[in-house]
Amino acid sequence: MRSRTAGGWIVADRTVWVYAVGAGLDGAWLDGLRGVDGEAVRPVSAAGLTALVGAVDQEAFGVEQLRARLDDLDQLATIARAHHRVIRVAADHQAVAPARLATLYADFGRVRAMLVEHAAAFRAALRRVAGRHEWGVKIFAAPERGPGRPAERPASGTAYLRQRRDSLTARETALAAAGQVHADLAGTAVAARQRPPQDPNLSGDRRRMLLNATYLVDDAGGEAFAARVPAIAREHPDLAVELTGPWPPYSFAAVEEGERA
Amino acid sequence: MTVQSQTGTAAAAGIGGHEPANLGDILERVLDRGVVIVGDIRISLLDIELLTVKLRLLIASVDTARELGIDWWQHDPWLTSQARPAVEPGPAGYDEDRRAIEDRRRVDRG
Repeated sequence: MRSRTAGGWIVADRTVWVYAVGAGLDGAWLDGLRGVDGEAVRPVSAAGLTALVGAVDQEAFGVEQLRARLDDLDQLATIARAHHRVIRVAADHQAVAPARLATLYADFGRVRAMLVEHAAAFRAALRRVAGRHEWGVKIFAAPERGPGRPAERPASGTAYLRQRRDSLTARETALAAAGQVHADLAGTAVAARQRPPQDPNLSGDRRRMLLNATYLVDDAGGEAFAARVPAIAREHPDLAVELTGPWPPYSFAAVEEGERA
Repeated sequence: MTVQSQTGTAAAAGIGGHEPANLGDILERVLDRGVVIVGDIRISLLDIELLTVKLRLLIASVDTARELGIDWWQHDPWLTSQARPAVEPGPAGYDEDRRAIEDRRRVDRG
């Protein structure tokens, strides 16, 4: 049931979850799109901008319950994937600035006020990412020895030191090579960012991660960028290079709270 | 080229090795990236900050990284929140954050 309030349209027992902001986001692709609560995703517009939002259960997405759910890795994963799916579908159709997980408003009127307040910053962010997507590249050190072959026990102190030195040299070489690959890819991208390496517990990959980077690439050059990665990988047999994407431009659509219209 | 969904473009471009996005890749994007606007439910942001610290420790294998001499994120303003003192990610910081969360929960419960 809907009622008119001073703040705008509110939906009883619902709170508003924001997925992304774009300019005039609308279209048939929105039909049937479901969000983090299984709710229909809908556009809310103001100041020439559109927020993609969903009216989610006020109780389940209230402070206490949401906090507990986000603290549970399985539930966090479900919510994060649902949030990401909406953003991905939207980014397939139009330029979007993805909202950070768990950005919630009391009603649609508050969302409109937010759009008006940050209009200039949103427009700047959308200009940066329009016609572009993000690609991810992770570089791992190729395993130093095959599985099932334990390290040889050094016969002496000197042998131990030599083994240790060789291992350090190999790491430094691999790191330097990873840095070269990054510089090379960054040179062909509009922008590049590095992130900390992922923990094996989360990535499920036991290899040592040397580079975890994202690149903002023009859609017209996306195919060439993606083809370049395996080509570069072939030049570095000591590295394992993994490409993901195209992603919505999560890493390049930042709008800081301080940035005001 | 028209960029389609993650797997769609990979297939279109004939690139192998694209699996559905893994959880770590998604979490580091939806928690640490994206538009940062303070919603009406203020506490969620504060808690997400703390949760992010926890996850960051899960995401960034700090000891391994240090061993390798990788420390660039310590200079990345995105990874040192404005909302709290720049805590160097590490077991000590984690304990402090966890204590802070537990303290606040006790207060919340009254």
